[in-house]
Amino acid sequence: MRPLLEFDHVGFGYAERNLFSDLNARIFSHDCIALVGRNGVGKTTLLRLAAGILAPDSGDVRLNHKELRSLKHREIARSIAFVPQNVEIPFSFTVEQFVEQGRTPFLKLFGGLNTADREAMERAMALTDTWSLRSRAFNELSGGERQRVKIALGLAQQPQLLLLDEPMQHLDIGRQFEMIDLIASLRHEGIAILASMHDLALIDGVFPSVWLLSQDEAMRQGSPQELLQPEVIESAFNFLPHHRSMLLERTRNRMELVQ
Amino acid sequence: MVRKVTGARASTGRSEAPERRQHWLLAFLAALLVLAMLIASGMGAVPVPVRLLARSALGMSQLSADQSTILFSIRLPRIIAAVLVGSGLSVSGLLFQGLFRNPLADPYVIGSSGGAVLGASLGVFLVPAVSIAGFGTTALLAFAGAAGSIVLVYWLASVNGRTPVVALLLAGFAVSTMLSYSSYFLEVLDQDFGQGMHILSSWLHGTIAQPTWPQLAIVAGMLVIGLAGSVPLARRLNTLALGEEYATHLGISVQQTRVAVIVIGSVLTAAAVALGGLISFTGLIVPHILRMILGPDHVRLLPATALAGALFLLVADTAARTVIAPAELPVGVLTAFIGGPFFLYLLRKARREVMS
Repeated sequence: MRPLLEFDHVGFGYAERNLFSDLNARIFSHDCIALVGRNGVGKTTLLRLAAGILAPDSGDVRLNHKELRSLKHREIARSIAFVPQNVEIPFSFTVEQFVEQGRTPFLKLFGGLNTADREAMERAMALTDTWSLRSRAFNELSGGERQRVKIALGLAQQPQLLLLDEPMQHLDIGRQFEMIDLIASLRHEGIAILASMHDLALIDGVFPSVWLLSQDEAMRQGSPQELLQPEVIESAFNFLPHHRSMLLERTRNRMELVQ
Repeated sequence: MVRKVTGARASTGRSEAPERRQHWLLAFLAALLVLAMLIASGMGAVPVPVRLLARSALGMSQLSADQSTILFSIRLPRIIAAVLVGSGLSVSGLLFQGLFRNPLADPYVIGSSGGAVLGASLGVFLVPAVSIAGFGTTALLAFAGAAGSIVLVYWLASVNGRTPVVALLLAGFAVSTMLSYSSYFLEVLDQDFGQGMHILSSWLHGTIAQPTWPQLAIVAGMLVIGLAGSVPLARRLNTLALGEEYATHLGISVQQTRVAVIVIGSVLTAAAVALGGLISFTGLIVPHILRMILGPDHVRLLPATALAGALFLLVADTAARTVIAPAELPVGVLTAFIGGPFFLYLLRKARREVMS
């Protein structure tokens, strides 16, 4: 099987510090991957590299065997949708006008939306259960509604790969479960998902694979059972020794709750 | 899994209510504009009955020679000038508000007014009485000054091929303020003992002088180019509202769009300045009023803003030339006095909707 997206010896860093020196990973068409790691380790940066928003310093990111840097943003956005953590808009766009922006990579210079565009938007809003919100102002939505509407914009791009930056952030536990349902139904649609997650308790049973970033080691890939072990988490998240019992306590409780 | 989608309809999509509202509004504005042009043609020192105007426009009766002279060489040019200037300023304001994501942006936001003041003062105080295609020195130099200061501001704000909007706003503000005080230095050179100062002052407050047909043709050409160029930009401004990075991801070339908005907004502003001087408020409030009615979608706002701006300035200018006849008020004074209170009323009525 050929990979949808491939990180091939990717190196990337900002002026002050290096984040990745030799990143190798592949995403296939039915993957559903949770990207975890401590704050500042480069989760969002990795998603930006995957979306072609950032270009690697060395190595290549390839979409269907084509280097992202050789493709136009417009072309990439038809296959990969990046859903950012925060979106601030200065105007009171309705949900529908917001979701419409997902069709941008398909529109011609002077053209408007055609039937196919409208169908893609409706499908995206149906999947995310946001159709009933379509006339509401985006800026007046609750956190959970806003999260689903942002994903609707991404789905309107009709992507093969959806990149979610902290989709569970600021959601109450009920909305977290709704998001879990949504992610599961997107998997059924055959859309590959790579989502950065800070709450490890929400990963088990939702994401079959985990990418674990840690500061000084290469990224590790595996199942939640393999990687979300106390020893692994402890070193990846730089725990102080006395935090270990707290971790054990908390992971056990949260796991039970989720199951 | 996903809950039942309630209220989803098969394929026609899109909430139709706002769409229909937009079409009605456009038709209403267009009808109102035609009516206002007709009424304005009848108003002035020699009144011409509106019924006679309407009948002669339809070829059903004849105007007298005097009436026809007044109409075609005095009133109609002035009316068309107001329509062009109002439309240009309002669309320019819409584009700049969209670009800067800032409710206080207006056509002069990136420094054009300062350059226009400098140009106009040079024209008034130093080299009066040259004219090209009907445009006097003041108008020509104001046009050049407006265009020149925008180029200067853009150059000052650009670093390594990128032009951050905050830098543009600040550079625009600084250049504009500096240049607008230049008139005080040039005043010293005034040879006519205050006469020049009077001309400049009425120009600074916005006065649509008596234009010639070639002038109108040139400005109309610039307006058509500007409006046509705004059409593809409107949708991009919607996408740019999501932020630079997100818009880039979705395939918008942010820098190109920015340059295009600045060029087109400046063409519209400079054309308006050449005919009408510095007319305040129009470019700021007309887009806001339309946004309160139609929402923030620039694609919908563009045609409505072009029509409403024309209507607004035509009403203001007709009032400016008739209220204290035979004297005239600068139209900018009226746009501030009519537009200000109306805008504040709407602001209180729909506070949340202006921009959130």
